[in-house]
Amino acid sequence: MNKVLFYMEMRRNARGLLIWSAVISVLIFLTMSFFRSVLQYQEQIAGMVQMVPAVAMKMRGFSNINDIFTVTGFYTANNLVYMMLMGSIFSIVLSSNILLKEEYGKTAEYLMSRPLTRGEIFTTKACLAFLNIFILNFLASLTGLIAILIYKKGAFSIHPFLVISLYTLLLNLLFGALGLLISVMMKRAKPVTAFGVALVMVLYFVYTISRMTGIDGTFGYLSPFKWVNVNVLSPGYGLEPGRLFSFLGITGLLILASGFIYRRKDILT
Amino acid sequence: MDIIEISHLTKNYGRSRGIADLNLKVAEGDIFGFIGPNGAGKSTAIRILLNLIFPTSGSASIFGLDAVRDSKKIRGRLGYVPSDANMYDRMTVMEFLRFGAAFYGAENETARIHYLLEVFDLDPGRKIPELSMGNKKKVSIVQAMVHKPALLILDEPTSGLDPLIQSRFFDLLREENRSGTTVFFSSHTLSEVQAFCKTVGIVREGSMVKVEEIASLRKKQLKKVRILFPEEHRLASLEIDGAGPVESGEGRNLVFFYSGDLNQLISKLSGYRVENLSIEEPPLEEIFLHYYQ
Repeated sequence: MNKVLFYMEMRRNARGLLIWSAVISVLIFLTMSFFRSVLQYQEQIAGMVQMVPAVAMKMRGFSNINDIFTVTGFYTANNLVYMMLMGSIFSIVLSSNILLKEEYGKTAEYLMSRPLTRGEIFTTKACLAFLNIFILNFLASLTGLIAILIYKKGAFSIHPFLVISLYTLLLNLLFGALGLLISVMMKRAKPVTAFGVALVMVLYFVYTISRMTGIDGTFGYLSPFKWVNVNVLSPGYGLEPGRLFSFLGITGLLILASGFIYRRKDILT
Repeated sequence: MDIIEISHLTKNYGRSRGIADLNLKVAEGDIFGFIGPNGAGKSTAIRILLNLIFPTSGSASIFGLDAVRDSKKIRGRLGYVPSDANMYDRMTVMEFLRFGAAFYGAENETARIHYLLEVFDLDPGRKIPELSMGNKKKVSIVQAMVHKPALLILDEPTSGLDPLIQSRFFDLLREENRSGTTVFFSSHTLSEVQAFCKTVGIVREGSMVKVEEIASLRKKQLKKVRILFPEEHRLASLEIDGAGPVESGEGRNLVFFYSGDLNQLISKLSGYRVENLSIEEPPLEEIFLHYYQ
């Protein structure tokens, strides 16, 4: 890893990270601020929700209506959209452009005339992308935790919160690794933002469809969203080795494959 | 010692040709003009030297090190000016130069940076996006020279520079060359190669056509001969050894290049009635065009 390149990239991406972190954190905080109102109008809301089809509820992340009347359940249901979906979009957009922007921005010739190996460039940029994803997750989770502590009523166990936060981080890191692979596989130097966003949305759609009742949801495991256990209120909820190794294994493979391809790729500007 | 050595280098881009069986040697301390028309393969060769792209076959080495395997060591001792001066936004000129120099551990080369900024009349506080193309080119040249490289690879470096700055740039390059820097200068502008380079390599359709010292090219005494006869003649029937290539080979007015002993030419022509005869040294452009015919 090269420190000079790392600090420059950190500065270059700071504004984007700040904006994404601020937007997601504000959304999480605002949403959590409604939790007490939800509790206050619990009966009315439960009555209204009865009318909502179960499929729609499942798509939204609620397996049981009563989940949203616990602070952890309420947080998780919203986290699905804010951090799992938006965080994954941030991750894939950032990582798919971090190497490729040198090519379509036509700075690759400059960078590759510096005394750096391709391995150093790849490692530095990948580390930077993963650090950004980690910081985003840390700030969003911290905001979530603060909001939970402010708006909670009754008991709150931090264990399920930490587990879902870790799952979310793993999911975002996997999309980060997927973004790297997409960028090194591009033959032509052009932004891949739209493709990355579309890929996340398609995988999210596959996941939501797989959650519908009456459908065999096995195909949902094609989507990494399905690998996250969102049933935070189920007994014995925790990190499952199978899911953990799936995330770490696939993420690791994607990174290795990306590095391998990048070391042998013609950089066309 | 050869600083650059390219051997049987080929690069294919799918169906299109990049370079084909290119061979080239650049000696230490040389100012080497790498010349050819657009699309001849100059930039492809440079990109292989910088390991931006990989060769299909053949090899390239710089400082005796393999351009693919030892690219980091090589880049530590070279400076490169790309044909398009693209650089990172959101930096001032000084920030950009210090950033570039930091890769070589030369970020504290303040005196050197200020000297180069003065030569090129650049404002260190200007933001990169505010610079004109010409000023960006100047910054690109400065960044390549801050760390005092042993080899400078310049790809069309003068495009966008006004004549005064071009003149300063060439003076600076000569100064650097005197202090030991080898210069590899890619261009399609023949006049600047003629004025500046010591050796020239002519590349055509991806292959090296000719490598020759500029002085030697001139010494070859390639002359342009124009003969006006009172009656029509064919050049072939005159049987002049050393004639060619030919611009006009038939009629009263014969125009051709001649490389050989002028006394023999005059002796040959003495057997004919001649209305006018001119023998002149052709501009280097025409000598190069000779290799393209």
